[in-house]
Amino acid sequence: MRIKPFEYHAAENLKDALEHLAGYGGETKVLAGGTDLILAMKEARSAPARIMSLHRVRELDYVKKEDGHIRIGALAKHADLAASPVLKESFPILCDAVRSIGSWQIRNVATIGGNLCTASPAADSAPALLALDARARVVDSSGEKEISLHRFFKGPGQTALEPTQLLKEVVIPRPKGPSSGCFLKLMRKKAVDLALVNVAFYAETDSTRSKLVRIAIALGGVAPTPIRASEAEAGLVDLDFDEASRKIQEAAKLAAQACRPISDIRATAEYRRTMVELFVGRAGEKTLNALFKSGAR
Amino acid sequence: MKIPMTLVVNGEDFSLEVAPNRTLVDVLREDLGLTGTKKGCGAGKCGSCTVLMNGRPVNACLILAVQAEGAQILTIESVADKDPHPLQIAFAEKGAIQCGYCTPGMVLTAKALLDENPNPDEGKIKEAIAGNLCRCTGYNMIVEAIMACASGNRE
Repeated sequence: MRIKPFEYHAAENLKDALEHLAGYGGETKVLAGGTDLILAMKEARSAPARIMSLHRVRELDYVKKEDGHIRIGALAKHADLAASPVLKESFPILCDAVRSIGSWQIRNVATIGGNLCTASPAADSAPALLALDARARVVDSSGEKEISLHRFFKGPGQTALEPTQLLKEVVIPRPKGPSSGCFLKLMRKKAVDLALVNVAFYAETDSTRSKLVRIAIALGGVAPTPIRASEAEAGLVDLDFDEASRKIQEAAKLAAQACRPISDIRATAEYRRTMVELFVGRAGEKTLNALFKSGAR
Repeated sequence: MKIPMTLVVNGEDFSLEVAPNRTLVDVLREDLGLTGTKKGCGAGKCGSCTVLMNGRPVNACLILAVQAEGAQILTIESVADKDPHPLQIAFAEKGAIQCGYCTPGMVLTAKALLDENPNPDEGKIKEAIAGNLCRCTGYNMIVEAIMACASGNRE
């Protein structure tokens, strides 16, 4: 459980962090909240030569509401996001997802940027953000760019980030019409567990709530990265409530076919796939009812 | 390599030189002698090392001491002033202490909850202490003790 010694730098601000990465990026691990990285170092799964801590970089801890977008700073903590009035109003599905992460102790420290950069296939913030069409704003000492979150995840523990780059913020487009969503997570116990399967179902209607104009179904824990089930989504677009309700189980089957789960000590692949179908159906019904039957946003 | 730093614990400033690979719980226990904070799993699962950082419960085993610079740290030693804290009285009265190993963490998490929400219901209490394991499994008494300190139940 002893952490191997390392060279240490506490970045003063974002500029200093990027300069440090420009020089030492290849051998540096970036420390945000640390709840994943410190554990990995204790268990000797990670033994970086250098650690750069971001605890002094206060400028990346925010939720900003703009006309077309909501921006979440990479160093925003899960406990703050779960309680954020802006997110509760615009994207309660994301509040539900981050509230399910770890324990209160973990959520008080762990950051959304850390959750994404750890790139666990079962990361709880990821399906909600994928379903919301979030983009990752990536920055290095030469400039900034945005990539879709879909392209940010490369594999278990692997992201599109270069060693000299940092994830600066997550950018979520605000819906144009009424929208609703549902996040469901399967655990072996009632709290404080990794997801065996997590599902985010998100839908948007036209302004009169007569038909669905956008459907997003994202799945976690059932492929090397969190994924979208595009075929399942396509079958529901342009439908009204009755048509969509009839087709939701078919979409759930397509979603189950889209995943590539593994069997491990926590669950079998077959169980995970079965639960994807059940959860997509359940989350879909809940979302459709909220959108068409009650006065959802 | 040791890093000079100031750690603010229970309202007191400590000037320390700390190797950056040491966790907060180790520095609290070994350098400051504050052994009320317990070490359990060392992996952020059991909550026995819970301390309050700027008023919020955190696992001191998953935070490097150097990350805690500038923060206000409260350990169980700060909770009883001269007299025991109402939570400590309630834990004793309800029999919410068996072996006692989880108790410092439980009390601090409960204190943070009550500071944030003086009248939590049972569900909120269970959600708050989900990260504090009691291997004696005395959860009912622990929840009862916290409930007894909720503002709606106090005399």
